[in-house]
Amino acid sequence: MTTAHLQGVTKSFGRTTALDDVDLEAGPGVTGLLGPNGAGKTTLLRMIATVLAPDRGTVTLLGRDPSRPGDRTGIRERLGYLPQDAGFHRGFTVFEFIDYVAILKEMTDRRARHDEVRRVIALTGLASVSAKRIRALSGGMRRRVGLAQALLGDPDLLVLDEPTVGLDPEQRLRFREMISHAGERRTVIMSSHQTEDITALCTRIAVIHQGRTRFSGTPAELTAQAAGRVWTDTQRSPAALAAWRTGDGIYRNVGDPPAGADLIPPTLEDAYLLLMGQPDLEVSQS
Amino acid sequence: MTVWHLDPDAIRRYSQGAAPPELAASAEAHLMSCAACRDVLSSHVDARRAATIWHEVVDRVDAPRRSGLERMLARLGVAETTARLVAATPTLRAPWLLAVAGVLALAAWAAQADERLLRVFLVVAPLGPLAGVAVAFAGRLDPTREIGLAAPYSGLRLLLIRTAAVLAVTVPIVAAAGFALPGSNWPAAALLLPTAGLTCAALALTARMTPVAAIGVVATAWVLLTAPITIAGHLDLAFGVGAQIFWLAVAIGGGTWLAVTRNTFTIKLGRSA
Repeated sequence: MTTAHLQGVTKSFGRTTALDDVDLEAGPGVTGLLGPNGAGKTTLLRMIATVLAPDRGTVTLLGRDPSRPGDRTGIRERLGYLPQDAGFHRGFTVFEFIDYVAILKEMTDRRARHDEVRRVIALTGLASVSAKRIRALSGGMRRRVGLAQALLGDPDLLVLDEPTVGLDPEQRLRFREMISHAGERRTVIMSSHQTEDITALCTRIAVIHQGRTRFSGTPAELTAQAAGRVWTDTQRSPAALAAWRTGDGIYRNVGDPPAGADLIPPTLEDAYLLLMGQPDLEVSQS
Repeated sequence: MTVWHLDPDAIRRYSQGAAPPELAASAEAHLMSCAACRDVLSSHVDARRAATIWHEVVDRVDAPRRSGLERMLARLGVAETTARLVAATPTLRAPWLLAVAGVLALAAWAAQADERLLRVFLVVAPLGPLAGVAVAFAGRLDPTREIGLAAPYSGLRLLLIRTAAVLAVTVPIVAAAGFALPGSNWPAAALLLPTAGLTCAALALTARMTPVAAIGVVATAWVLLTAPITIAGHLDLAFGVGAQIFWLAVAIGGGTWLAVTRNTFTIKLGRSA
């Protein structure tokens, strides 16, 4: 079942082409958008969140066409969105802020709305800070508040733009747990430039670079593309596209190995580096 | 240590909410310290009713406290949800309002010293409310703009609620500054229709561009059209009866356009959200 289907999507801002003929399909589970900063991930997610319209191409979300006003409202009723730079009314308490977003989500019955606010607060582990002002919270807690508002109304489609950026390792693990849980019953589309997050969470990934899709498939399929192209050596290999000294003093080289190289199993990060290092590579899609 | 117990009839009446106040108070005090009576009471209490009461208690404890503005709006009959949206309007914060009031007060004071500055005041004053509306939708000052755009709440309704709130506060500031000017009080009245017309024109343009861009276009057009004739001293041409009719027509036209396009209206995000 496809929840989000984008075909031939193009978006320009002035002379800058942010997205160029991008295709994407996402269904239940967690789909990851991977790419460097400025690749076009945020623009793509804004389209999926219905806040931006494409210049060309078609977008179908939850079986509806967001370019039609009636359909768009219907999609938004079943959508949760955490923007990259999610801001907060910092004078609001956690409860007040989430309640404010619940009003924007047309939850008009006060009692039912407050119940829903309490539900997402509990779900994201914010109950102990529910009455605290947002300005008094740490960055990680604020990010949790952002996730809590996105979960209001138990949406079928959850769009998360860089949800783990700026979090410390423990907070990142907590977030992964919450996103993974959210992806068990709905479609989650999240962006990241952290391959660890993608490896840990995603059933499918799309690699976006310079506004184009460079890969679409499963993490295992992307990783497999680097098979036979990662090797260790006592020194940096001139043939490597990327090489770094690891903690045990040997060099991990990624690229075209010399004859007799000591090949090792690749990681998703190796495959990603290889993909980014080959600007003319054709789109690989499974 | 408790050595006596409530009689069964008192417990039954208390559980049904039928006990007189003095009995209810006495029963409550006893129940706090008597587990046996609490057990008897629990068998009389309707579980659904108890859950409803507990729910009400929880809601009273952690529900958001309404701000002074929200309480005032509630007294005026504004719905709780609308009052909350108004209270979150960035432009309604004290520092911004003080800045607008300060600039206009300074302009009004300067206009008393020099008639040419009165003309500058007349050109600048309607831009105060317009700037307020722009700020209410500026990305940096409306931190939840993107979340709001992805929510099902009508963008036009939000735009109108915030605009009305901004105008309700800033137009009196402009009028007060107008009354402070030398001579008659005509500037205070003469500014109202241009302000309404400019705002409606900006809102209508918002269907085509971001709110901030729309307000920028309208403000620029106002300055280009009005500044030369006002500063040259042709105040009748800029603020006379003909001009007032023109701005009334613009206000009605903009309002009509918004009404016609209400079902397809969307707020644009712009490039740098």
